[in-house]
Amino acid sequence: MSLSYLVKRIGFILFTLLAVSVIVFGITQVLPGDAAQMMLGENATDDALAAVRDRLGLDRPIWLQYWDWLSATLGGDFGTSLRTGLPVSEMMLPALQRSLLLALLAILLMLVLAVPMGIIAALRRGKPTDVVIGLGSYVGVSMPEFVTATVVLLLLANPVLGLFPATGYVPLTEDFWEGLHHLALPVLTVSVILIAHVSRMVRSEMIDVLHTDYVRAARMKGLTRRRVILRHALPNALLPAITIVALDVGYLLGGIIVVEEIFAFPGIGRQLIVAIQNRDLPAIQAGALIMAATYAIVNFLADLAYAALDRRIQYA
Amino acid sequence: MSAGPVLTVDTYSLAYGTSAGAFQALRDVSLALQGGEVLGLVGESGSGKTSLAHAIMRGLPPNVGREDGRILLGREDLASLSQARMTNIRGRRLGMVFQDPSTSLNPTMTLGTQIIEVLTRHRGLDRQAAQRESVAMLERVGLKTPAAMMHRYPHEVSGGEKQRVVIAAAFACQPEVLLFDEPTTALDVITARQILDLFRDLQSETGVASLYISHDLALVSTIADRVAVIHQGRIVEQDPAERIFSAPQDAYTKRLISAVPRPDRRLVDDEASSTGSTLLSGQDLTVRYGRPSLLDFLNKDRAKRVTGAQSVSFDLAQGEILGIVGESGSGKSTIAKALVGLNPFTGTIGFGSSKLTGRRDMDAAYRRAVQIIFQHPDSSLNPRQTVGTIIARPLRRYGLDREAPVAETVAGLLRDVQLPEDYARRYPHQLSGGEKQRVAIARAFASKPQIVICDEITSSLDVSVQASIIQLLLALRARHGTAYLFITHDLNLVRQIAHRIVVMYRGDVVETATVASLARQPEHAYTKALLDAVPVPVG
Amino acid sequence: MPETIRRLLHTPQGAIGSVIVVIVLLAAIFGPWLAPDNPETFNYGNRFEGPSGQFLFGTDQFGRDLFSRILHGAQSTVLMAIFATVIGTGIGAVIGTGSAYLGGRFDELVMRLVDAVMAIPNLLFALLIVTALGASGVNALVAIGIAFAPGMARIARSVALTVREQDYVKAAIARGESAGYIILREMLPNVIAPIVVEMTIRVAFAIMLLATLSFLGLGAQPPSSEWGLMVSEARSYMFRNAWMMIWPGVCIAVVAIGFNLLGDGLRDALNPKT
Repeated sequence: MSLSYLVKRIGFILFTLLAVSVIVFGITQVLPGDAAQMMLGENATDDALAAVRDRLGLDRPIWLQYWDWLSATLGGDFGTSLRTGLPVSEMMLPALQRSLLLALLAILLMLVLAVPMGIIAALRRGKPTDVVIGLGSYVGVSMPEFVTATVVLLLLANPVLGLFPATGYVPLTEDFWEGLHHLALPVLTVSVILIAHVSRMVRSEMIDVLHTDYVRAARMKGLTRRRVILRHALPNALLPAITIVALDVGYLLGGIIVVEEIFAFPGIGRQLIVAIQNRDLPAIQAGALIMAATYAIVNFLADLAYAALDRRIQYA
Repeated sequence: MSAGPVLTVDTYSLAYGTSAGAFQALRDVSLALQGGEVLGLVGESGSGKTSLAHAIMRGLPPNVGREDGRILLGREDLASLSQARMTNIRGRRLGMVFQDPSTSLNPTMTLGTQIIEVLTRHRGLDRQAAQRESVAMLERVGLKTPAAMMHRYPHEVSGGEKQRVVIAAAFACQPEVLLFDEPTTALDVITARQILDLFRDLQSETGVASLYISHDLALVSTIADRVAVIHQGRIVEQDPAERIFSAPQDAYTKRLISAVPRPDRRLVDDEASSTGSTLLSGQDLTVRYGRPSLLDFLNKDRAKRVTGAQSVSFDLAQGEILGIVGESGSGKSTIAKALVGLNPFTGTIGFGSSKLTGRRDMDAAYRRAVQIIFQHPDSSLNPRQTVGTIIARPLRRYGLDREAPVAETVAGLLRDVQLPEDYARRYPHQLSGGEKQRVAIARAFASKPQIVICDEITSSLDVSVQASIIQLLLALRARHGTAYLFITHDLNLVRQIAHRIVVMYRGDVVETATVASLARQPEHAYTKALLDAVPVPVG
Repeated sequence: MPETIRRLLHTPQGAIGSVIVVIVLLAAIFGPWLAPDNPETFNYGNRFEGPSGQFLFGTDQFGRDLFSRILHGAQSTVLMAIFATVIGTGIGAVIGTGSAYLGGRFDELVMRLVDAVMAIPNLLFALLIVTALGASGVNALVAIGIAFAPGMARIARSVALTVREQDYVKAAIARGESAGYIILREMLPNVIAPIVVEMTIRVAFAIMLLATLSFLGLGAQPPSSEWGLMVSEARSYMFRNAWMMIWPGVCIAVVAIGFNLLGDGLRDALNPKT
């Protein structure tokens, strides 16, 4: 990986973030209704509305509003919530922390399960184990999170068994085990689709790699099966998985929005839904921008990791 | 030599189970490899030669249906051994070198690791001893900086260096038998020659018995002690190497030998170049590839563009066959594509009395007169069009459909390329490789061209198919007086048919000469090296 | 074409996928005529019933027949999802092939923009668009169509670029064929197949996305029997009558599985190498 590749990638991520900010800002400008009207309610006088518009700068040209918003955002100021009157950053950043915890646990669970499942399915290709894993993954990728959540709730949180709490959140710092207990169902729900998808990808990459000349050559050198699979095949099969996992973070973020809503988990997804329901413009902008930026940055890091690990290609 | 052969294949048969029923890949194959001997195994694609190699290594695909007969290493029947026992034998007593070194080395492991692992596995060396031994092996296979090579990854070294590493790993445990599966086919001519020399040295030094598998009869006859010819899963003939060309017994072997290109047997007897007037010429043709990217302004070296061909000049007379030879990346195909408007170029193309300085100057008359046939028949025919549609298109395009009914013309063209007329209704995937290439030829000749550019058109075909395609091209030329620009990497082939030869090397023309003078006194050092490197059939 | 269908039905995925998709399409088209009951008729005497001879799938909190509601909902779930995918594919294919054909700086600029848009997760993008347009089934459809377009553009472009590099296209260029002929006659027939495969798989995703939007209250509105909305409404009565949630949930999953299987089957059937 050369310096110019790095410079190029950084240039590209900056461009991406800029474009994302334009899209987010642009879409929220089309919102029906008027922010001032929303703040003051139906019975506001025209004078009061004009005063608020003036204070918020709503009468200025759109590109100036965008510039003000962007420069404030870059300074960490996401504005004031129209719903609560609190600074948006105070609402969003703690929520982001909680969501990141949820996301990281989900990714961890996915890696622990999906990678071995994919490898085993590839090694047992066509055998019952492979068919069972394959069927399972078809079902997994075909269930939206809210359906999975329904199943999980019916089975694990029903009043009879009551194994897990259906809603709520307890900080890990407060009570570690209780916290995990509350996180279990959201993490499980959001990771099902990831496990299904990634295990399928790992399986197909692994099957491709097992058919390459270099794996055949390694076998013909009389190396042990263990070494052929773990040392020769696996690293080459997992390399493309980096990119796939990074792209799946997109699903994950979408899933988090739904799961947080269902399990009443106070994360950024739930904040975003509440903001959308209340047409809380600054909060919508902040939530969407933070999520999109997270996704873009994850993909950027995955690209760098891939470039650093892949020996084959010279990145110019 | 000790008693008995080191490797015996005894009336071995092999069938694969496919969805279309059993496919018999090998029938009653019997071979015996003595200690220190090199046995060449020659066959065309689908002959079963690779299946035999896999059977010996016990690396057969899972859809093996039925096996009969025995394969003995010394006295041990390999088929009866457990997987674990076989794993112990592979690499230690029985090794294999694959065709393409760029795919048979693991891209994510250093070259050193890929030798060390064999030594620690089979010879029980510790890491340091294995490291020392590996460096010594790399030196022995002629790598100049063996210690540095240990830390490199496959993509950091050349193809020839990679194959040397593969060979070093194969010889590392001094096996009794080594299988070579086309070890030079993926390499350039001169590199291939160096690898062959290395093989000869190591073979005579270690006395390892070798089974050398190849499609190239001329090459095998120069390095093997004995040659076995395999056809449709049967060994049809076994001879001492020096006898295979002079006294073949079997009918198939005779056909194969007559198809092998031999520079001493000219297939064209006229001398077009001295008589005809110049039809097509190139002056200072230069082609550059690449385009600066939007973000390249961030780079200092932004003007980095690859030159595909540099100031190439040539001329082609009426009815002449002009050969262009060179290794991959020499720029020979680049020029061909420029001549038909597929590459932008600078310089001048002369066609009759007109001068072309860019792609815009190529009018319908020029395009109709200059046709091209590509290397891969699979990709040059649109899979969603019938053969009839494909051949008819140039007729419609150049307004030739008014002269005669299209269907009749298409039928005539199919007859000309010796295909049945009802092939017009077929789709390309229903045809064999050779048949597809005939369709491509028919399409090129549909517009009654004066010049046909043949861009490596036989290099993906078997040698017997190649011979029939060449015959067809020469017959068409005899009838229509067409001039050919014949681009190939096969020096033997081009010396059979070309009047003059242009030699290209890294984008430059290094030499243009008549066939006779090129063979007698090559001027450029590269031409000399090329001539020396090509194995010529002997006997 | 019959050849492709024969190969499709020969693979287990293709066969099962085709059966599911055909049944679902029949249900979606003829559902309203097949339904035994009016999906909006209240039956206060029969609330929260389990499956029975009278109510095949049971009843909901208003005593409405769940089977009839599911059949009616097929239209607003499956047909809408297909429509959304077609919109997204159409926009994407035009952008992608156009960009691939024009090439150069234009191509690079378009693809950079597409990459930037793809940095917004699909569901989030759809949420934003629905927020801007207002919550309704049609707006959800439009949102998904727009959200899919960049991804399809990328796929269409890469397919078009592969085809463009084929020698038969080069042969056509060398013959001096017009751009129109090359795009329509040589390239298009070879570009369509992989795009259809991708589209089929995307329908599964669109169904899930559409149902999710409705579930969040941003898609179809009551009293619609869109399946995601049905699950959402059933949540309050989860432990009184689980069937209210199970039927629409199962339907969404089965339909998505069907389209996923069909897509994979088509991919194998259209690839002449295997």
